[in-house]
Amino acid sequence: MAQQKGQLARPIFAKIAPHEFLVANLARDGQNNQSQQGTRPNGRATDESRDFDVHTGSLSQAHGSAAVRLGRTRVICGVRGEILPVANIPQFRPSAVTADRSADHAVEADNRRQLRDYDLLVPNLELATGSAPEFLPGGPPSVLAQVLSTRLYALLHSSGLVDAEALKIWHTPRRAADGADGDMDIDEEEPADAEGDGSPRTPEIKAYWTLYIDLLFLSFDGNPLDAAWAAIVAALRDTHLPHARWDADRDRVVCSPPSVTPAPPLTLRGLPVASTAVVCVENRKRQQRQSSEVAGAHWILHDPDRLEEGQCHETVTAVVDCSNGTGKATVVRALSKSGGVLVGPAELHMLVASAETRWTSLSKALGQGP
Amino acid sequence: MADRRRVNGPVGATFAPVFAKEEQAKVAKVPERSRPNDIIRKIYLQTGVTPSASGSAYLELSSGAVPSTSGLKLSCTVHGPRALPRSAPFSPHLILSTHVKYAPFATKERRGYLRDTSERDLAVHLETSLRGAILGDRWPKSGVDIVVSVIEADQDRSAPSVDPDEELWGLMSVLSGCITVASAALADAGIDCVDTVAGGVAAVVETTEGVEAETRDTKETVLVVDPVPAEHGRIVAACCVAYLPNRDEVTNLWLKGDLPGSAGDELHLKMLDKALHAARQADQVIVAALKDSAEDSG
Repeated sequence: MAQQKGQLARPIFAKIAPHEFLVANLARDGQNNQSQQGTRPNGRATDESRDFDVHTGSLSQAHGSAAVRLGRTRVICGVRGEILPVANIPQFRPSAVTADRSADHAVEADNRRQLRDYDLLVPNLELATGSAPEFLPGGPPSVLAQVLSTRLYALLHSSGLVDAEALKIWHTPRRAADGADGDMDIDEEEPADAEGDGSPRTPEIKAYWTLYIDLLFLSFDGNPLDAAWAAIVAALRDTHLPHARWDADRDRVVCSPPSVTPAPPLTLRGLPVASTAVVCVENRKRQQRQSSEVAGAHWILHDPDRLEEGQCHETVTAVVDCSNGTGKATVVRALSKSGGVLVGPAELHMLVASAETRWTSLSKALGQGP
Repeated sequence: MADRRRVNGPVGATFAPVFAKEEQAKVAKVPERSRPNDIIRKIYLQTGVTPSASGSAYLELSSGAVPSTSGLKLSCTVHGPRALPRSAPFSPHLILSTHVKYAPFATKERRGYLRDTSERDLAVHLETSLRGAILGDRWPKSGVDIVVSVIEADQDRSAPSVDPDEELWGLMSVLSGCITVASAALADAGIDCVDTVAGGVAAVVETTEGVEAETRDTKETVLVVDPVPAEHGRIVAACCVAYLPNRDEVTNLWLKGDLPGSAGDELHLKMLDKALHAARQADQVIVAALKDSAEDSG
């Protein structure tokens, strides 16, 4: 035998004892450098994340699309807009704050209420494409797929990325005495003037655009939330909905082809970026005692891959946005933590700082996109 | 109807965008096919795209002459051979499980996440095509999963309405692509096969010149390989084959459509020959992709 007795090859070590393999890699370099910074089995430092590779507009059937690659994780997102007539909404309530334009906060809150109550954003995620050996088709969505869909749904609403104003389809009715068809799309609002003879009435909402956001994982190598969220943001930025107007004669919404009326891009606010880290403890069995001292050394691994995700329980995710025009203020849109007790405020600050670096890299990748 | 495991949409029904008819006339006229009748569209094939799978492949078929027609994009993963569950009955050969699924954004009308009959039909055809090439005796009591995801189907998005015929004939192109990409993924997984399997489609189409003719009898029909429904006036019949080029065998044959009675038999054979010709062109792409993959790993 060429190898010494008792020495295992790396793939065999990773297969037989993955947790010990991970801890051995992290602890060995730590002792040499006399610091907690170890090297992961994939060659990255503990606080190093993989770069995003974003391609937009590759699907011509969808209104917006993006293909995101994060290391060896590949996800495709397609956004499809469909029209939801107001008559199909059972609990439709007209906006009470429409007449008062000065109250911006009230308008914003009402727009968020409409997005949530009418279910105008429908994200769904599909893992069962053979992207990993544990995700095969033939059954209902797995727990991970359901958890990810729910988290993406909550993120879409809490970050306020999509403006409901961009999804409204307005119509201004005219009096029959005018003899003109009221089928022009008027976005501006005018005060209600019933006494005026030729003036148009108050514009009303006839329908909403509903965005079906579908994600398809082609390759799964860990950290699905970051890749999925980056794909959603990139696909929504690529979304162009056709110009829609209400046809009073046919009593339905009709659209113009893009060659006749160019489709405007969707209005988005901000650029939230997600960053995820996991905590790897040296003695995994003792972690159940809920004590940080008995667990031994621990490392915080940013952007975990599939091997690291399987061996670590505690996960923390930060969603930050640095795209405010006033200076470079960082806004934390979401923080979520589960599975352990080792992450404290200092570690959260480090994660937010790492998320800012991630935001810079994703904004560059999106800027280079077509 | 409400799926409790997914994020459901609005309670009321949503509609796909409907374009105004008077503005539809302003759209440019659909161009005709610019390729020769016996040349297939350009194929891009890459293996090894999913590292955690035993084998994987990605196939892209470029769009044709119609600019708003999307090409075909398929992704395939192979998992296995792996041990069958204990409750499964004994099998002396490899058990093949094929799955074909459209992505919701792959077609002109949005699809749901549950498989419909056309997808199950494609899966059965795919299994029949591949079973004839795999040396199943070498893996008794084992199973292999072949999953094909259709990322983009072969449809014209600027067509005024959803043409049921277009989707029907487009299924042939999708099956041909599924066979080709699954064969490359099987080779990437290292599963022993007697030959590569390539899919090919041929069709009898009516030329657009026939529209100007006064009587129906003077309409001309022509044999084409790799038909795009948007490029032709009407497709009369189509044929899809799964072909083993080195052994010159066919493992799957799917015929659709009607042909005139007198010349039908001869035209069937000519259409089959054209489909085999298309499959041979596709097989060259498979061999080239596998050679590139072998050189990269070497």
